[in-house]
Amino acid sequence: MPDLSYLPQIALSGIAVGCIYGLIGIGFCVIYNASGIVNFAQGAFVMMGGMIAYSALTALGLPLPVAAAAAIVVVAAVGVIIERIVVRPLWDRKATMFVMILATLAAQIVVERLALIVAGDQPRTLPPFSDLPPIRLGTVVISYQFLWIVGISLLLIILLDQFFKRTKTGKAMRACAFNREAASLQGINVSRMLSLSFALSAGLGAIAGVLITPTQYTSFNVGVPFAISGFIAAIVGGFGHPLGAFMGGIMLGLAQSIAIVAFGAGLKNVAALSVLLIFLFIRPGGILGEAK
Amino acid sequence: MTLLSLQGVTRRFGGLVAVDAIDLEVAQGGVTAVIGPNGAGKTTLFNMISGFQTPNAGRIMFAGQDITARPPEEIAASGLIRTFQLVQLFQNLSVLENIQVGCHLHTKGGVLSALMRTGSTRQTEREVESRALELLDFVGLEGAAEAEATALAYGQQRLLEIARALAAKPKLLLLDEPAAGLSADESKRLSAAIRAIAGRGTTVLLIEHDMKLVMNTADTIAVLDFGRKIAEGPPATVRENPAVIAAYLGVGDA
Amino acid sequence: MRRGLAALPWAVACAMLAYAFITGGYFVTIMSFAMIYAVFIIGLNVFMGFAGQVSFGHNAFAALSGYTSAVLTATYYWEPLAAFAVGLGLALLVALVVGWPTLRLKGHYLAMATLAIGLIVYEIAIQWQSVTQGYMGISGIAPLGIGGYEIVSERGKLFALMVFVLLAAFAAARLRASRFGRALAAIAGSEDAARALGINVPHYKLAAFLVSAAYAALAGSLFVHVVEFVSPEVFGLHMVVLAFTMLYVGGIGTIGGPILGAVIVSLLPEVFRGLKDYQDLFYGAGLILLLIYAPKGLAGLGNLMSRGGKA
Repeated sequence: MPDLSYLPQIALSGIAVGCIYGLIGIGFCVIYNASGIVNFAQGAFVMMGGMIAYSALTALGLPLPVAAAAAIVVVAAVGVIIERIVVRPLWDRKATMFVMILATLAAQIVVERLALIVAGDQPRTLPPFSDLPPIRLGTVVISYQFLWIVGISLLLIILLDQFFKRTKTGKAMRACAFNREAASLQGINVSRMLSLSFALSAGLGAIAGVLITPTQYTSFNVGVPFAISGFIAAIVGGFGHPLGAFMGGIMLGLAQSIAIVAFGAGLKNVAALSVLLIFLFIRPGGILGEAK
Repeated sequence: MTLLSLQGVTRRFGGLVAVDAIDLEVAQGGVTAVIGPNGAGKTTLFNMISGFQTPNAGRIMFAGQDITARPPEEIAASGLIRTFQLVQLFQNLSVLENIQVGCHLHTKGGVLSALMRTGSTRQTEREVESRALELLDFVGLEGAAEAEATALAYGQQRLLEIARALAAKPKLLLLDEPAAGLSADESKRLSAAIRAIAGRGTTVLLIEHDMKLVMNTADTIAVLDFGRKIAEGPPATVRENPAVIAAYLGVGDA
Repeated sequence: MRRGLAALPWAVACAMLAYAFITGGYFVTIMSFAMIYAVFIIGLNVFMGFAGQVSFGHNAFAALSGYTSAVLTATYYWEPLAAFAVGLGLALLVALVVGWPTLRLKGHYLAMATLAIGLIVYEIAIQWQSVTQGYMGISGIAPLGIGGYEIVSERGKLFALMVFVLLAAFAAARLRASRFGRALAAIAGSEDAARALGINVPHYKLAAFLVSAAYAALAGSLFVHVVEFVSPEVFGLHMVVLAFTMLYVGGIGTIGGPILGAVIVSLLPEVFRGLKDYQDLFYGAGLILLLIYAPKGLAGLGNLMSRGGKA
């Protein structure tokens, strides 16, 4: 009989990491909705967020908020670079979806290796955002980092929602999602939307990386596991509205927590992947989408 | 004898009724054309007959069997073969190989026979090849056997798709806008090919816009407008029908 | 002139193999490795090149058969052939069970589901330590052999592997020039048109999936007997990336392309001998350039082998 007393605590960390999965998943959705591409380099953005923030912090001595902001901006730029160098040429040559996925996966590997060469393989971490003792609620301990993660995630969801519903650019991106040709005929600069979607996606990934690094380490190869989890979140959420991916992420995080309590930490990835497969088979439209 | 019979076939998309309780009987033999302005529901009708879409109401009977809502490959197996509005050739195969795929339905052989290549497998392959060559000649593409399917002119690609469909030995051949994108010359060749096919005993049902082709090729014409059948009969009668003229408002050189 | 250019990669590949036999030593190992991968990707080519489908997870089937061969021969002293029969059966069974729902998915869903399958098998290989020894892996696996006879010499192994590759390529060629192969090409060309001609698309996709899983299983078991060691990393993501690089370099959809790609790509680490860390970097960058500028690969140069695939 698994020890259930740990469940609330582990569930909390499941929610925290679930927020991160959700943010990464939203990144997938943004690019997919603007272009139909699944960007497998998404994990690289998460990795770079944490790594660059660390470098800005230690090598340049910048205060944490500035270092974080710098990291986010740099990663967004890298996102656009990847879009221009890898995605755009294939897009112009009308490459198949599979070739695009493979190319972005290759881009992920290139970025990973560059990080390894430049920064070495030592794990890095960031200091927690608030240097305060955690809050105790009965048997459960809530760290301030948890509050930061959940708080910023929710804020981002609200901002994104407003962006897509209220701003001209946001609506333009949604138009591209519905029908690229019609959008283009309406005067929307589709290729600019593509670059913008990569920048936005990369920025979200970087934020996710910066948020989670204080609670665990970062290193050159954390990208792929994060990308996979983010993708699962996006699928569970139905690849549409940001809120769906976010809920998907939370569900995944909680599912992993339950798996850890029930089967031990070793099988948590198997649990996550099984969740993915189950959703793909039964409800590829995701929770908020249609059933197959 | 009635080969294909539609009874009250209806298809809605949300609030839009694309096909509205259509009754249609296609007799065996000859060429029947379904015409109508854009958006009249013709392609949706075809999709429902061939199994690519499901009717919301009504029944479709083919050769005495109820084929309503059956999947395309089953309908094909019962002898109803269709072509597509935008030519769907198999780009990785040669012209001849495309036609050979049409023979799939009436031959056998999977992984094991492919690997072992027994005498009977080789014999079947020879028969398939000669049948494909025969059909290639029939549509007037002799000599193009080894060419890349996509290297043909569009009109020839159309003929190739028809040859491929014929390889499946259809009782009823459904042609979806076969003249679309063809030049006047190519249309004439197509018309001759369609009459030759009907002459060989295959019933043909086609959707078309090209009034000239339809008037010259079809024995019977059914006219759709806004999802409803508004006229039916031989070409001479239909072209005089005021409702038809009104629906088209002077389109084409009928 | 064009023919000459197109024949160049083949000349290089043959020269490499001849060189390996003459010099022996480390080079033979590299070519053996290339031959094993060649078997793997000849099979993957049936699924992806002929039928135009997508799979990021065939390494799972190599792992399933490879580990079965390893465990049965090293721990239970089975005959390699019998162990492989079981490994093949297991891989095919899993392919059937998993393929049935997966192949109904489209596009990136299919890609992701197959990736997930590959990762799940990888994770199980790591976690199920009682059987697989986890990260440490299993060593002391019996070499290739039948009855009492074992192939121990490096050259002998390379020769045996070349025979396997030739048989594999021959089988693939037979498949392509058959009713079965045409059905797969039809599905790759237009699923709708294939269905309209009476082809049961899900059935053939599954058949292609099983055939390629069988090739993967063979490659997996060959690997463990040739190297006499197995660990989860052997069949991990690195295998996926490497296999795709080889498949694209050689020319997807062709018969000889996989062999060509395997040989050429296996030589690359030797070019970058001193730059171990940079290997994957160059693989990744190279693959990107390849996908953009030469998606038909080397075998597509000058159309030496007829009809490159579309995936």
